[in-house]
Amino acid sequence: MNTKTLMYIVKRILLAIVTIWVVITVTFFVMHAVPGGPFTGEKAVSETVMQAMEAKYGLDKPLGVQYITYLGDIVTKFDFGPSLKQRGRNVNDIILDGMKTSAKLGLIAAVIALICGVILGSVAALRRNKLIDRIIMIITTAFVSMPSFIMGSLLLIAFAINLKWFPANGASKNGLVLPVITLSLYPMAYITRLTRSSMLEVLGQDYIRTAKAKGVSGVKIIFGHALKNSLIPVITYFGPMLAGIVTGSLVVEQIFAVPGIGRAFVNSITGRDYPLVMGTTIVLATLIVIMNLVGDIMYKVVDPRITLE
Amino acid sequence: MKKKLVSLVLASCMVLSLAACGQSATSTETAPADTQATESAPADSANADAPAAEPVGEQVINVCLASEPASLDPALNSAVDGATMINHLFSGLAKWGLDANGNLELQPDCAQELVEGVENEDGTVTYTYTLKDGLTWSDGQPVTAGDFVFAWNRAASQALAADYGYMFEVVDGYADIWADGATGDEKLNVTAVDDKTLEVTLVNSIAYWNELLAFPTYMPVREDVVSNEAWATDPSTYVNNGAYTMTAWDHNSVITLTKNENFVDADKVTMNQINFYLSDDANNQLANFENGDWQMIDDVPTNEIASLKETYPDEFVTAGQLGTYYVCWNINEEILPAGSTLTGADKANAENEIRNALALLIDRNYIVNDIAQGGQVPASSFVAMGLTDADGSQFYQNAGPSSSFSGYYDVSEAAYEANWNAALDTLKKYYTFDEATQQFTDFPSLVYLYNTSEGHKAIGEAIQSTFAGIGITLNLENQEWATFLDTRKAGNYSIARNGWLGDYNDPISFLDMWTTQSGNNDVQFGKGDNANVAAYSLDITDLGYDTKVENGTWSETYDVLIGDIKTCTDTKTRYELMHRAEDLLMSTGCICPIYYYTDLYMINKNVQGFFSSPLGYKYFMYCTITG
Repeated sequence: MNTKTLMYIVKRILLAIVTIWVVITVTFFVMHAVPGGPFTGEKAVSETVMQAMEAKYGLDKPLGVQYITYLGDIVTKFDFGPSLKQRGRNVNDIILDGMKTSAKLGLIAAVIALICGVILGSVAALRRNKLIDRIIMIITTAFVSMPSFIMGSLLLIAFAINLKWFPANGASKNGLVLPVITLSLYPMAYITRLTRSSMLEVLGQDYIRTAKAKGVSGVKIIFGHALKNSLIPVITYFGPMLAGIVTGSLVVEQIFAVPGIGRAFVNSITGRDYPLVMGTTIVLATLIVIMNLVGDIMYKVVDPRITLE
Repeated sequence: MKKKLVSLVLASCMVLSLAACGQSATSTETAPADTQATESAPADSANADAPAAEPVGEQVINVCLASEPASLDPALNSAVDGATMINHLFSGLAKWGLDANGNLELQPDCAQELVEGVENEDGTVTYTYTLKDGLTWSDGQPVTAGDFVFAWNRAASQALAADYGYMFEVVDGYADIWADGATGDEKLNVTAVDDKTLEVTLVNSIAYWNELLAFPTYMPVREDVVSNEAWATDPSTYVNNGAYTMTAWDHNSVITLTKNENFVDADKVTMNQINFYLSDDANNQLANFENGDWQMIDDVPTNEIASLKETYPDEFVTAGQLGTYYVCWNINEEILPAGSTLTGADKANAENEIRNALALLIDRNYIVNDIAQGGQVPASSFVAMGLTDADGSQFYQNAGPSSSFSGYYDVSEAAYEANWNAALDTLKKYYTFDEATQQFTDFPSLVYLYNTSEGHKAIGEAIQSTFAGIGITLNLENQEWATFLDTRKAGNYSIARNGWLGDYNDPISFLDMWTTQSGNNDVQFGKGDNANVAAYSLDITDLGYDTKVENGTWSETYDVLIGDIKTCTDTKTRYELMHRAEDLLMSTGCICPIYYYTDLYMINKNVQGFFSSPLGYKYFMYCTITG
């Protein structure tokens, strides 16, 4: 790694910190500007109770003071504070709990998507315009265009209600099987298509023809030359995709009642649980920023011709 | 094969449409329902008539009430699902149970008996309870009277600021705790005479005291346990004294309760383990019920109600609930035609008459049968069905001007036409009516505010089309839940949907919310312009009071009346005063009741011994699974 690349990475990290700070600031003030508060419900609590609650959580202080205290707690203690809705629980714990499930779900789905996608894409490319290619293309087109809530509902009806092979609830034993499948189908289909077109392009390159002319075996051409080079677009896609599915898919979590971060995020917003809104936003933003950065660096690793600046 | 595929796709589309609505339906339920059960109401024992069968298997039941409870600390909980879990985990002085005939009744729990109070010279009432022998906490320590004293003072304290702290307002000393300038050292008038004797003094005698003793907020907790603020979030620190102990809590997934063998009444508890699954998605709950994984679900997709009733006639249950779905007016909204010269009391009376006329136009039977579809009952009063009167009869049946129908209007289908004509006649007094088109031409247009949900929207549309039929423009506006609550509370609306579930079986839980300073006074009685409107009359001299007000303000009439009810010690007079309060409230036309709520749930037919209360609390401890 040369100095230029190193400088680039440092620059990107600094930029990432600024990005996250902007996200924190905007979210903090917009969140407090939205009508409604954490302690309002259909049954109003008395004015004195409301004041006592606000004083307890420091919500009675001026917004600017709250903002500075909040930033201070994050930077110095990495403490997102207590949840206002789930009394007695810390936002750190809630996020950790949610991330455990979401990360497990997301990582398994991402790995399945990557492996199956690359294999299917390569097969389709190598058997271009044959029957197998056609079948793969039809299926992947269907998966790419079918939203996850349709896919999730279909799988739920078929495998959880009718066949009863898997539970309908994500928290049960084997409960993550159906959500993993639902979550992985779209990226798998997308990766298949990316791999196929990119591999077709690579297979048409001069150096592949040269290798063939030299008598290099087919397997070696594919694994030694073609595959590695055709993965470049897949890698650029993989970073942001991983961030997307690891940080939780609300739809899938909702359909299968998976206790992930996506559900916690949405519930925190509807419930105006300020610290949890902030905590989840920060974690999700950070993950996305990091994944994008990793994706860019990987790009360089796979293709040394690319200069990062 | 092809057929199968088509049906699969169709079915998925159906589920889809449900998925789209399910979320809003759950999130818009009218808030935590903590009503107190009717002592005489028959329990909703779903499978009471089923033939007796032998218990089968390990007696583990999987149920789903809602998503993660906000708190399982008895003092902090304010939700129905949390209350159900707390009822299984804690044992207070009293509890709800079934009598020999299968009717709900209050029974002593930690107390040896539910004693009568002794009235003191200053009008306060003192109760002395003796605790049962052998009561222990789940960690083996004995339960003492001092634990109750500590728990009650904690729940009522400013330091805890619990939503339901006001449940202790009937106890002497509560007012001092919340008085201006309170130091934090004030205490309730509750003392532990010794480890087994508890003495509590109430401000005055109240009819529902024993119900309060069974309310989750009144459960005991131990000082050394709750000194850890996070005690109620983890099984390792959760020390309780009820029929079950918490053996696992996988956050947002499942809470496992296991039978407590050291519980005093353990031999009566038949269910060995209860798994409370945590999900707020009605469609997912239904999927788990349909594939047999869960035996009871407390939420059903609104759009599926009609078909579920047909598919599962024995397992789909509609139970009574102490609540009213209604539409409320902003009392300060101008509704007279432009150029009207009425002012002061005349204006207020005209508006009252108009609002009451509009209430007659609404077809409640259509709303209940074709929109809500959950066995709701068309409502004609604000105090809900199920609340009892002084003599034990239904309060709502004795309400209103006529003995030929219950409540304030006749909401039977047969009366609809007559209501319609009466309403038109009234409106014609104030607005220009074009006979040719049968439309009013100068009614100002109104906005109907509701929180985002298919169900609320459909009801809004029904009212909109009814009003449009006579030329009144009603525009619909929806807001997200928390925003909606804010807007409605601040009075920035003309008409809004509303709902209320009582906290205990006493009509005052529906009436004291309409005093001027109440946080639930969405109508804005006595606020804004209405503060100076002197148009309300109150005469209770016939009941032995010297209050007689002609054309007074809201605070001179209604607020005074509620104050009188709260200090009244004669049951009959007190209930009569409450009827007067509802009369005054309904005369304004600002409250337009639509229907009385029902509690819908599904329970597997192999579960025996289940019951629920009109508060929506579910009881699984005496259940057995027989198939």
